[in-house]
Amino acid sequence: MPKRGRLGFSFPVLAGAMLVFLLLLVVGFIVGPLGRSIFGDLGLPGWLSVPPPAPELPAEKVFHLLGFPITNSIIGAWLTIAVLVGFSCVVTRRMKIVPGRLQSAFEFLLGWLYNLCQRVAGEENGRRFFPVVATIFLFVAFNAWLSLIPGFGSITFATAEGEQVSLLRGANTDINMPLALALVSFVFVEYFGLRSLGVRYLGKFLNVGQFFRSVIQIVRGRLRAGLSGLFTGFIHIFVGFLEALSELVRIVSFTFRLFGNMTAGEILLLIAAFLIPWVFAIPFYGLELLVGFVQALIFSGLTLVFLTIAVAHHGEQAT
Amino acid sequence: MEPEAMKMLAIGLAAGLGLLGPALGIGLIGYSALQGIARNPEASGSIMTNMILVTAFCEAIGIYALIIAIILAMIV
Repeated sequence: MPKRGRLGFSFPVLAGAMLVFLLLLVVGFIVGPLGRSIFGDLGLPGWLSVPPPAPELPAEKVFHLLGFPITNSIIGAWLTIAVLVGFSCVVTRRMKIVPGRLQSAFEFLLGWLYNLCQRVAGEENGRRFFPVVATIFLFVAFNAWLSLIPGFGSITFATAEGEQVSLLRGANTDINMPLALALVSFVFVEYFGLRSLGVRYLGKFLNVGQFFRSVIQIVRGRLRAGLSGLFTGFIHIFVGFLEALSELVRIVSFTFRLFGNMTAGEILLLIAAFLIPWVFAIPFYGLELLVGFVQALIFSGLTLVFLTIAVAHHGEQAT
Repeated sequence: MEPEAMKMLAIGLAAGLGLLGPALGIGLIGYSALQGIARNPEASGSIMTNMILVTAFCEAIGIYALIIAIILAMIV
């Protein structure tokens, strides 16, 4: 048994691995566009270099189904759904009280999400919000992570028009999917707010109570109190309008946050793989894994926070 | 100046200047979060959660600038 050194490998194995890595890095540098501009065209075989990236913002249509154009990001989303549903079926088919490895991994994941919901929203609210928040988290995270599997964007398909289009694309990079998720989050926030508070939830946006009260005060003759109340009433109406506006702007900000992060990450990976082929993109892969997880957490966490704010009884009457 | 040169200049300025503010903002958030953790290490879980939340808001603004730069580069 060779002596185990750093990282669990013996020293010769570690030195050999680092040497191979360095060799790949140097060869990649020479073959890529940076090396080509320094050393000129060395006549190396074509399969060593990577074609320049051509990212397209609108998703490309692959085929038409019953008159609807099916884009490659929809196929990516279907793949994510298949993976999630498949995992859930496999894990819950034979559930044991003392769980096996896969089941306990899923229990850990869902337990962590449930604790997050309960920590932010409280006991019974946490239970009510858990399905929406967990679905958004799992969908966004698996969309981001599955698009990092090697070969994801490389499978091409010949469309009916004859051009070669990649078959799969991460669903978060098409702007329609983050927009759909943001709309889902918005609708659920309004739904839970209306269900908890009734029609008084809309009183947060149409805050005309103070205005009418001061009008009645003026009519009854108490002029000074009425006028100051009228001024405060105008401020309340304006603040309510701003609240309604910020609810709508939230949709835009959710969409662009997720879309921007995912698209920028994909373009970064493509350009890193183009500049120094083969091994230079590995740290960026790690960054993309982290960014996918953080963006999913932020999307679902912000949805949870806005849900909590929406169902809170606002007992405070602002000045 | 030719339109191509002006477009390159616009892309560089949009991305560069637009990301200055959010970078400063995230640094300030980290500064105050670390100060809070240093004063009260027990609350570090709650402080970290809130820090991530506010960082998300700040970073979204930077992403808006990046989107404008990407649109200028690819579509215009």
